[in-house]
Amino acid sequence: MTTRDWLLSDDPETRMQARLGVAYRLARDLARNPLAMVGFAIILGLLLVAAFAPWLAPYSPVEGELANRLQPPSWTHWMGTDELGRDILSRVIHGARITLTIVLLVAVISAPLGLLVGTVAGYFGGWVDRVLMGLTDIFLSLPRLVLALAFVAALGPGIENAVIAIAIAAWPVYARIARAEVLTFKGAEFLDAIRMQGASKLRIIALHVMPLCMSSTIVRVTLDMAGIILTAAGLGFLGLGAQPPLPEWGAMISRGRSFILDQWWVATMPGFAIVIVSLGFCLFGDGLRDVLDPKQRSRG
Amino acid sequence: MIRVEDLSVRFGDTQVLHDVSFEVAAGESFALVGESGSGKSTILKALAGQVPVAGGSLALGDAAGAMTAKARARQVQMVFQDPYGSLHPRRTIDDTLSEPLLIHGLPDRDTRVLAMLDAVGLPRRFRFRLPHQLSGGQRQRVAIARALMLDPPVLLLDEPTSALDVSVQAEILNLLKSLREEKGLTFLLVTHDLPVVSFLCDRLAILKAGRIVEMAGVEALRAGQFASPYGRELFDRTVHG
Amino acid sequence: MSLLSVRNLRVTFPTDHGPVDVVRGLSFDLGRERLGIVGESGSGKSMTGRAVMGLVPKPGRVTADELTFDGQDLRGLSEEAMRGLRGPAMSMVLQDPRFSLNPVIRIGDQIEEAMAVHGRLGKRDRRARMLDALSAVRITDPERVARLYPHEVSGGMGQRVMIAMMVVLEPALMIADEPTSALDVSVRGQVLDILADLVDRRGMGLMLISHDLNMVARWCDRILVMYHGEVVEELAAGALMEAQHPYTRGLVASLPKIDETRDRLPVLDRSRL
Repeated sequence: MTTRDWLLSDDPETRMQARLGVAYRLARDLARNPLAMVGFAIILGLLLVAAFAPWLAPYSPVEGELANRLQPPSWTHWMGTDELGRDILSRVIHGARITLTIVLLVAVISAPLGLLVGTVAGYFGGWVDRVLMGLTDIFLSLPRLVLALAFVAALGPGIENAVIAIAIAAWPVYARIARAEVLTFKGAEFLDAIRMQGASKLRIIALHVMPLCMSSTIVRVTLDMAGIILTAAGLGFLGLGAQPPLPEWGAMISRGRSFILDQWWVATMPGFAIVIVSLGFCLFGDGLRDVLDPKQRSRG
Repeated sequence: MIRVEDLSVRFGDTQVLHDVSFEVAAGESFALVGESGSGKSTILKALAGQVPVAGGSLALGDAAGAMTAKARARQVQMVFQDPYGSLHPRRTIDDTLSEPLLIHGLPDRDTRVLAMLDAVGLPRRFRFRLPHQLSGGQRQRVAIARALMLDPPVLLLDEPTSALDVSVQAEILNLLKSLREEKGLTFLLVTHDLPVVSFLCDRLAILKAGRIVEMAGVEALRAGQFASPYGRELFDRTVHG
Repeated sequence: MSLLSVRNLRVTFPTDHGPVDVVRGLSFDLGRERLGIVGESGSGKSMTGRAVMGLVPKPGRVTADELTFDGQDLRGLSEEAMRGLRGPAMSMVLQDPRFSLNPVIRIGDQIEEAMAVHGRLGKRDRRARMLDALSAVRITDPERVARLYPHEVSGGMGQRVMIAMMVVLEPALMIADEPTSALDVSVRGQVLDILADLVDRRGMGLMLISHDLNMVARWCDRILVMYHGEVVEELAAGALMEAQHPYTRGLVASLPKIDETRDRLPVLDRSRL
């Protein structure tokens, strides 16, 4: 019996085998989607670049030679240099770490928060639902960047505050999605059955309701990554995100703006990075959605 | 084992049950028969603690009086109509059967789950399958197994075979009958299907518009001798279409 | 000449493990009569009905040596030509009427709309025909019902409206796929009565697809018993008890009776089929 047969077995012998089997099927379906694989490759690239930034970057991201300022792309500086003579490639590589940190922190804060609010509102209904969803609507009615701006203005500029601000602006969407998802199966008999077994409300929500909302939330978060990166870059561009000399992509574009006509590469190179990484998350999220769609789950 | 006295249930302004009373002895199999809207399922839900009771009293199992949800779970469990909707789509059979044991902190989960799979006639190799890998009849066996995990004396059956194929219905009915004999269970069956009552039950109550119009033994059903006109109408409709 | 002739009908779906035949070489003729097709889930009975209507969902493939409706070869007919047939020539009643009626249009308007799409009748004639059709399905106050929205009628009434909607176009062939399983027992008889009546009075051909042996035996002239994509037995409706094939006999035996005294029901032994 090959590993593949073992994974695809209809009669797994252990819990572990059953779980690995499910994961293998997901991965297999995902691998059949070429665009999702392109997205996956981009995200993997981002992860590797961020992990090995100090070794990959040819120069220091913060120290430059003023004699070499605003050099066009060449063999010594593949992406050219900026107004302080810093190597843009090195800054973009180090910037991957900042972008990844922001994206992951925002996802880790906002997705569970949204999931919790949405499932609780959807499951309990009544006044709990009205209060929680009213709150959600208030946050949802404000444009994300404007809301983030307001929070950063209140909390003060900096990466940590930018993360908090973006997370506060991002969770309502997940709450809405999770609630809508809960409403589709709220009356299902498997929830009646678990209630009849005497399960506590906490247990029902955490172990029976949330897992069913998980896949749509994961898909949405992945698709939102692009938006989060852009919001972070926007804050950076406005000078409210990462502070100099940190090589944050948005901040780099902001500084390059002054030279956009004569030294295009200063603003364009980090712009490329933002576009490519955003695209990667979008493609991967699209693929995930196709695979996690419950209608497709039943296929062998 | 089950005592229902003057039970009334309201949904908003409409009263769906009017002073319903009946008793089911331990080990007896009792059927509630009627059309949709007759309130038969509502009685089941009231006994399961899923709808608020507007008046009257309910007593269930060995204990009397008000019960916590956890205590009630040890007394009564339910098998639902739709085997596709009553199992959590993302949990394996093992998860579904272990859950009641986890909730009630019972030991020996592995042994109990395997023993229960044997009891309901499911192969042990199905243990880690997901519901979508099972047929309708197999899912209904899982639902029955789940209901029996806590060894409750009373089982509520809500049209347990009406969503199944004919040949599968026979298997599930046989299984229910065997389990009742082995474990001395008390059944309360809700159905619109008189032949199923004839096979599985000892007595029945006929409901119409939230009231019991007649109570009879299964012999009366087999002989087609109902006292009420509505009972005879139901019988005729089954026999002659 | 028969209304519908089917020879060696096959419906195939591709799967991960190669193509799977859902209907395997089915042949039958349907005249102006009531033909029942019984089978359990997965027997291919619904796919047979859909194949005739040209409604097999993608990526399913339909092949047949002969598939003739009223002298017209249905094989290789364009989707457009099929759509022209569906409605005025053949129509299908589905399980749950609530999913087949448009919830925001009044019932009367929906029926008239169906006529307007296919017919060339004037507006006044359409209205008269619509009211006729509603009376034909034994709706006692058609004027009132015509003004209702689909959610304002019960399941049984909804199903009758669905049938009325097909009847106005006077199709020659009606395929009813489990037309009563979403309905209460008390109204099932009425709906089937109406269908049977249409066959008798208007000379329609009816294909009644169901899992319910007794119901089909009661309402049809002839029964095809399907198992695993094939017809295992053809029976006259009254002869259910004389069935020869072990599958049919097994099915009949496994049904509980109203005066049931058997301790256990016999279970179908699939390994011997």
